[in-house]
Amino acid sequence: MAISLELLKNLLRRRATIMYPDERRALPESSRGRLVFVRDLCVGCGLCWRACPSAAIEPIKDEKGLRPVFYIDKCTFCYLCVEVCPRKAIKGSSEQASVVSDKSELVVK
Amino acid sequence: MLEPLLRFVQALAYLLYTLLLALLLEWFDRKLIAKFQNRVGPHYTGPAGILQPLADVLKLLSKESVVPEGTDRLMFTLSPLLAFTIICTATAFVPLLGYRGLVSLEGDVILVLALLTLYLLVIYTAGASSSSRFSLIGATRAALMLLGFEIPLMLSCLSVAASLGSFRISEIAAKAQPRLLGIHALGFLVYLVAAQAELDRQPFDIPEAETEIVSGWLVEYSGWRLAIFRLSKDIELVLLTGLAVALFIGGGPNVPLQGFELAIATPVFLIKQLLVVFILSLIRASFGRLRIDQFIGVGWRALIPASFLYLVIAALVA
Amino acid sequence: MSIYLPIGPQHPVHPEAVQLKLKVEGEEVVDADVDVSFVHRGIEKVLETKTYVQGLFLAERICGICNVAHTTCYAINVERLAGVEVPRRALHLRLVVEELARMHSHMLWLSLLAHVIGFDSLFMLAQRDRELVLDLMEEITGGRVITSYNVIGGVRRNVDAALAQKIISTLDGLRKRVLEYKRLLGEDAILRARTEDVGYLSSSKAVELSAVGPVARASGVPYDVRECDPYLIHDEVPFNVVVYNTCDVWGRAMVRIDEVLESIEMIRYALERLPEGDVRAKVPLLIKPPPGESVARVEAPRGELIHYVRSDGSEKPVRYKVRTPTLANLAALVEMLKTGRKDRPVYVADVPVIFASIDPCICCAARVLLIDEKRGSVKEVGMDEVVRGE
Repeated sequence: MAISLELLKNLLRRRATIMYPDERRALPESSRGRLVFVRDLCVGCGLCWRACPSAAIEPIKDEKGLRPVFYIDKCTFCYLCVEVCPRKAIKGSSEQASVVSDKSELVVK
Repeated sequence: MLEPLLRFVQALAYLLYTLLLALLLEWFDRKLIAKFQNRVGPHYTGPAGILQPLADVLKLLSKESVVPEGTDRLMFTLSPLLAFTIICTATAFVPLLGYRGLVSLEGDVILVLALLTLYLLVIYTAGASSSSRFSLIGATRAALMLLGFEIPLMLSCLSVAASLGSFRISEIAAKAQPRLLGIHALGFLVYLVAAQAELDRQPFDIPEAETEIVSGWLVEYSGWRLAIFRLSKDIELVLLTGLAVALFIGGGPNVPLQGFELAIATPVFLIKQLLVVFILSLIRASFGRLRIDQFIGVGWRALIPASFLYLVIAALVA
Repeated sequence: MSIYLPIGPQHPVHPEAVQLKLKVEGEEVVDADVDVSFVHRGIEKVLETKTYVQGLFLAERICGICNVAHTTCYAINVERLAGVEVPRRALHLRLVVEELARMHSHMLWLSLLAHVIGFDSLFMLAQRDRELVLDLMEEITGGRVITSYNVIGGVRRNVDAALAQKIISTLDGLRKRVLEYKRLLGEDAILRARTEDVGYLSSSKAVELSAVGPVARASGVPYDVRECDPYLIHDEVPFNVVVYNTCDVWGRAMVRIDEVLESIEMIRYALERLPEGDVRAKVPLLIKPPPGESVARVEAPRGELIHYVRSDGSEKPVRYKVRTPTLANLAALVEMLKTGRKDRPVYVADVPVIFASIDPCICCAARVLLIDEKRGSVKEVGMDEVVRGE
């Protein structure tokens, strides 16, 4: 019965459960989440897709030149690309990738 | 001509009430344990999740009941039906509605206890007829548990019945009073521990140890057979807490008004039952699981001597 | 009459797929063997195809819970190989995150032990308090469990004074909760009944079968890598090597709880004496260490973790080998399952408790598979043969 007093006290305490998705935990800003890409700063150096350990970045050519496309479903959020980009065109955010119904939402262009 | 029809409708209503009560008590137990652990428990189905046990039963009924190869098909199907029948029959003697149960016989305390032992036998056949090693171990454990809690359960019930001067549950319920609990405290305690063991709840859920033998004797059951077993367990909770109230705390108040007994005695009985469930749930949440040899040790070293001591006390008090 | 009882590879008590092959007579276990080949992922082979910097993130994912130990070991290994000097501030921060990871791993273990013996209330409460540590890890490193904090050359993010203060004050609050769990371990009757005299491993057997970590320290063997082969700043931080002599599951539980309390003190020491300076040395992305070998050992939450690397001067390693603590404890596990003490056999009900007491991390351990290339056959190695060195 060593724990019984604690259990009875818990009847008066507020629940520790967060009723997701109606309530959400406030994520700290430092949380490593979905990548954000600023196209105008990118020069197409190719460092990010060479550095990525999980091959989640692919180079494509658009009207301004060579640029990366990020596949968040393969991303491990290691942020190597964020570190390696010389123009700081790749930024992190604290938004979690979450569940999507359409796979194209998991591609950052 | 109308008499048998009336009796049949009465029995049906009683059965329905028993089932509803079973689901209600399961919800109460789950919600309490969740609150003890700082969690929420059933939440989404119905207000405060009260329909969750019903949802569980309905879900189970909608699934396929697989009979694995090598199973004794007859006993595999007969066991849940037998278990349900036995438990419902035993609950018919407990005064859940009004002052007396559906049936009331002289000496029905002994009958109910005998039916409970029969129920355990059916658990053994359920586990033994499944073709899994785990279920055989679980069934053996369930049969072994009888050694530990059978005598205390019987002695505590029969001693208080003898001391109050009757072996008819409805009469005992009328004679028992909460203030008598002071004298019969030891018996109540012994009964609660033995009931917890009978119900296979922590710290005595040895036959169904999830982390050791994966649901034990229940492991091969699925679909409607599992639903019936689960309902039987819930009704067993109603039965044993109902017995606790009827034998030790007393049934509804003695209302001299005719015809109002149903409306007043029933809720009072229910509230007392919920109190007993509270105690059982607190015990369930506070403990881990004993090993079978440790449980037999506790049974023979503590429970059985205590029940014999209570027998002496009850005899002196009578 | 004995029956063969396979616990696993699917079983509610197993966090990962592993098979315990038991021979059971009634409730007594008469023989046991372990099969860990279910989670083999070929990580050591893949590490040979990644650069050193990329390989760090793969090594991190050898195990979810011990990921900090793996990255610390990998980083130290490659830094030794390449001769990289790590700034002092980074060493302090590495220690803080390593000890935080040890704390949350041990609290997870405590809740798993409670779950295995059916004590779900302790399971829920310990997990609730573990959340405090995970929230701290998220503030420091950005990830709750997988931290990606260590890099070759230092750590990635800095910790400012406000965050350091928050860490210390949160840990002060957590300390009271952990002391409460320690009291429970000492007082709760069923917890003691299920863990005392269970899973007996004598000191001599522990040394003979090379048990590591809390398994060895609960059998009276004072072996802690932080003390005998200090890395980071463990030679400066004062701490006690927690040793119990009870040789049973209860001893292992007490060792782990006491290690949590020790970790809190070590973190406080490291944060109060945080030196100024950089947190990261500059290291090229395609680092090419000179040819050679290097070995690094750290004290992971489960025991001694060894990484070995061989380089030929290119940017990818030639061979990378990982020896995890769970692998070392498996031989001891089989011994514990087979032999009880002379008046106390091992029961079926004890098996999950003993298995949980070595803190199994099977995804770390799945590495042993003998392939006979000449005959083209694959043979599974039983634990006996591994112990005998065949």
